[in-house]
Amino acid sequence: MTTVVERPESPDISSGYPTVASLSYDWSKRVPDQVAMREKDFGIWKGYTWERVWELVHEAAHGLLALGVTKGDRVSIHSEDRPEWVVLDIATVAIRAITVGMYPTNPAAEVEYLLGDSGSIVHLAEDQEQVDKLLEGADGAQTVKHIIYVEPRGIRGYGDDRLMFWDDFLESGRRHMAENPSAVFDLMAAAEAGDLMTLVYTSGTTGPPKGAMLTNANAQFAMDLVVNVPGRTPDGIIPNSSDTILTYLPLCHVAERIFSTWTMVISGAMLNYAESIETVQENLREIQPTLFFAVPRIWEKMAAIVEIKSRDATRVKRLIFRGVMRLARSIGKDKIANGGSHTVKSRILYAVGYPLVFRALKERLGMRRVRWSATGAAPIAPEVIEFFTGIGVPIFELYGMTENSAVATLNFAGRMKLGTVGEAYPGIGLRIDEDTGEIQTKHPGVFQGYWNKPEKTAETMTSDGWLRTGDVGEWVDGTYVKIVDRIKDIIITAGGKNVSPSEIENSLKASPLIKEAMVVGDGRKFLAALIAIEFDVVGDWATRRQIAYTTYRDLSEKPEVIELVQSIVTSTNDKFSRVENIRKFRMIPKELDHEDGELTATQKLKRSAMVETFGDLVESMFT
Amino acid sequence: MRGRPNLYTSYEDEQKILPTVTQRVTMGAFLLATVTVPFSVVPGLRFLGTPGWLQILNVMLVFLVAALGLNILIGFAGQVSLGHAFFMAVGAYTAAVLAGSPTQALWGLELPLWFALPIAGLAAAAVGIVVAPTAVRVRGLYLAIVTLGLVFIGAHIFRNWNQVTGVPELGRDWGPLQLALWDIDGPALRFDKDGDWFGVFVSAEGKTFLFMLVVAVGFVVLSKNLARSRLGRSFAAIRDRDIAAEVMGVSEVKAKTQAFAISSFYAGVGGALYATVVGALQPEIWNLFLSVEFVAIILIGGAGTTAGVVLGAIFVQTLPRIVENTTAFLEVQVETQGWFAPIADLIIRTDGADLGIVSTVNNGPGLSVAQANGLLFGLFIVLFLIFEPLGLYGVWLRIRNYWKGWPFTY
Repeated sequence: MTTVVERPESPDISSGYPTVASLSYDWSKRVPDQVAMREKDFGIWKGYTWERVWELVHEAAHGLLALGVTKGDRVSIHSEDRPEWVVLDIATVAIRAITVGMYPTNPAAEVEYLLGDSGSIVHLAEDQEQVDKLLEGADGAQTVKHIIYVEPRGIRGYGDDRLMFWDDFLESGRRHMAENPSAVFDLMAAAEAGDLMTLVYTSGTTGPPKGAMLTNANAQFAMDLVVNVPGRTPDGIIPNSSDTILTYLPLCHVAERIFSTWTMVISGAMLNYAESIETVQENLREIQPTLFFAVPRIWEKMAAIVEIKSRDATRVKRLIFRGVMRLARSIGKDKIANGGSHTVKSRILYAVGYPLVFRALKERLGMRRVRWSATGAAPIAPEVIEFFTGIGVPIFELYGMTENSAVATLNFAGRMKLGTVGEAYPGIGLRIDEDTGEIQTKHPGVFQGYWNKPEKTAETMTSDGWLRTGDVGEWVDGTYVKIVDRIKDIIITAGGKNVSPSEIENSLKASPLIKEAMVVGDGRKFLAALIAIEFDVVGDWATRRQIAYTTYRDLSEKPEVIELVQSIVTSTNDKFSRVENIRKFRMIPKELDHEDGELTATQKLKRSAMVETFGDLVESMFT
Repeated sequence: MRGRPNLYTSYEDEQKILPTVTQRVTMGAFLLATVTVPFSVVPGLRFLGTPGWLQILNVMLVFLVAALGLNILIGFAGQVSLGHAFFMAVGAYTAAVLAGSPTQALWGLELPLWFALPIAGLAAAAVGIVVAPTAVRVRGLYLAIVTLGLVFIGAHIFRNWNQVTGVPELGRDWGPLQLALWDIDGPALRFDKDGDWFGVFVSAEGKTFLFMLVVAVGFVVLSKNLARSRLGRSFAAIRDRDIAAEVMGVSEVKAKTQAFAISSFYAGVGGALYATVVGALQPEIWNLFLSVEFVAIILIGGAGTTAGVVLGAIFVQTLPRIVENTTAFLEVQVETQGWFAPIADLIIRTDGADLGIVSTVNNGPGLSVAQANGLLFGLFIVLFLIFEPLGLYGVWLRIRNYWKGWPFTY
């Protein structure tokens, strides 16, 4: 007698709106054994198959239900990028609750503010450090009902009965699942397009962070356009399950969310979690991702590493490297003039340089297999794009912001234009206001407003329903958008001239020696700048010249270093008109830090805080 | 995931002896070239197929086996030993008694080689285990002296225990190199006689070479495997800092005993093979100089690396032949006034009145070829210790890292 073992009928979730949860579930049914994510554990990249990922998500979703989380409740996550982050994120969406991500670098005060503002009731704190930040607050964040921790070290004796270990959390989920086997699937089947799925807190260069509300429909729109827009990659293939991604930027940021989690669920690409931000270079070399997104800071750092290492190389290697880099510059210029595609000449030059340097160099950088990479979230110096294009890394600048689900403009492969952020995605509304020059967008990706801040939301929307990005832009060649600056940052000098500081700052930062620059001069007679050096690179420079130094401050105040910076400032001034010239500058005496409030969690300058902290330095330049 | 050489998704991946396709192909080609040596088919290596060179290669392979053992002790576990010759002798005489033929004055059981060889190794290992505890009490130079004592004790025993070792300065005969199931009269495989194998003529030296090659490759793989095993890691821990190793749960006594046992096993097998290949050995051969020669192989090759030991064995064993050939070449140059005659004239002296360092005249002034050989030998050890402590393997590492770091230096 033969018994036919029936596979258990897949629960029907098709009536629900597609969410990151239902998409993950689909993958677990279609390709259960394919590796969805990898995490480095004692030197080995351990894989999680789609089946395992869904199992974890399913258990975590039940775990949340067991903790009493219901539709519309907020679940906050305060952790470095790791599988638990993504699992809990997807699980939260599965039960129609709302994920709130926090930057691992957020100091205690900000954590307290974010928890209070979002009203989160379940909080995932990665380890003792993050748990401490939460408990440190004045009232110990009493609004939070449950705290889940992933790394148990040091937390055992805390005695706060809200604390719960991740494994126990999953165990309670399994118990809940046994009692209510279909609870999660029922909620997934009931998912609606308008369900809020996440609050993405803006980094807040001005004022406290605001939580942008994004719905399932917003996410779906962003996946359809940003991830799957045709013409995005040079080879014309949209992201798919053979792609590999390194996840290393904070997942609470909309860019990393789109380029890792959302890319993973829509295309099946594999996520690899970097061990930490310090090991990104090493992890890149191991993983050799095929899709790569980085903020300008990372690209600049990579270019700086290449510069330092090439200077340390032996004579023969240096000679060959310098020669091939000359080729790279020519290739970069040719390709950029041709919209990012090879010309016959650049192809020939590339064929010469590839076996000599490019292959090995790209391998060292972890860019060997990259078929599409992008820079965004902050302005980048054109020289950096030129460099990477020249060595054969297809890099494209794009533009978007949290409030429009990062859907705005993109440099399409073969149509790129250096110095612009590219063209609008097909079918979206994007206009530049004629009076203010502000870029405005209108499309289904635009957010639902700021959480609990209707007056701020109203400020952000125009009367006819367009989103005000707060960026001043201009059209180039009809369809390309060039970002001039943030409206708030535009400097009006005492002479009445409008100056965009970021362009000057980027030109300064294009030098590997300069890490941060802030141009000041609003209402003043001339422009001046605060400049922070790149400690490693300048330190290396000083060592070579046998200039002894001790600390960061000591190094930046060396007369030789000031002279060096002066030469960079002078060469930058040559590129700009007289009004835009920097007449004076001062060295910033400390390394800027998120913790000290000078930078946002995404490493952007908080200008107001900078002026406050270094006010006397600024004044000293104008008196 | 292809094309991602630094990506390891399992520990098996990370521990592969030959991780890349290129390495596997290179190693395969090298082995193939080695196997065909007795048949003189590879252009450029044909000269190695002559009986004279094959004999050198055979001794080289035997030395390789014994040196691998010393490398486990010195290179892996960091225990300096000068007693390697003693352990080899233990193995050699165990094999001699088991496989040799008895006479009135000599013991011999005429057992087959496949039985005698492992027992020889085990006997040496047993002696190693007895000696090991002293290594826990004394370190470094003192351990070297203790093991040196073994060589002298051994010398005394071997000179006087004539039933085993034979007559002083003559020695005894060893059992023939053959693989028989049990009966010595009908050997399945004889390696010490010329003959046809599958219709192809192979000389006795060629057969011996193939046998030695199989044994040596086996021991190389074992040694390589040992280095990446738990045992090998515990040796390395003891070598780098014994106290720290104990804190991590590595037992010092256990690890050192194991290191001595395994090292002595290699030595025992090496010793038994040495005597078999050479045919007869005087009891005086197992002296300090033999021990030192093994230390030299390791130091010149690169302590702690299996590939280094292979390089060291090749170098040390071919050096005398190279010196000999060079001297002969220079001699011809001087006589025929060839291109190199001016340089050759400075180096060798062909008659008593001539200038030159190396003398080709018997008992003439200056150094003999053998002395020059010894001098060069010492010079190489000194130079390697000063300039390249990692030995020949270190030279290879430099070359490899130069290309690995391309286009940078690190």
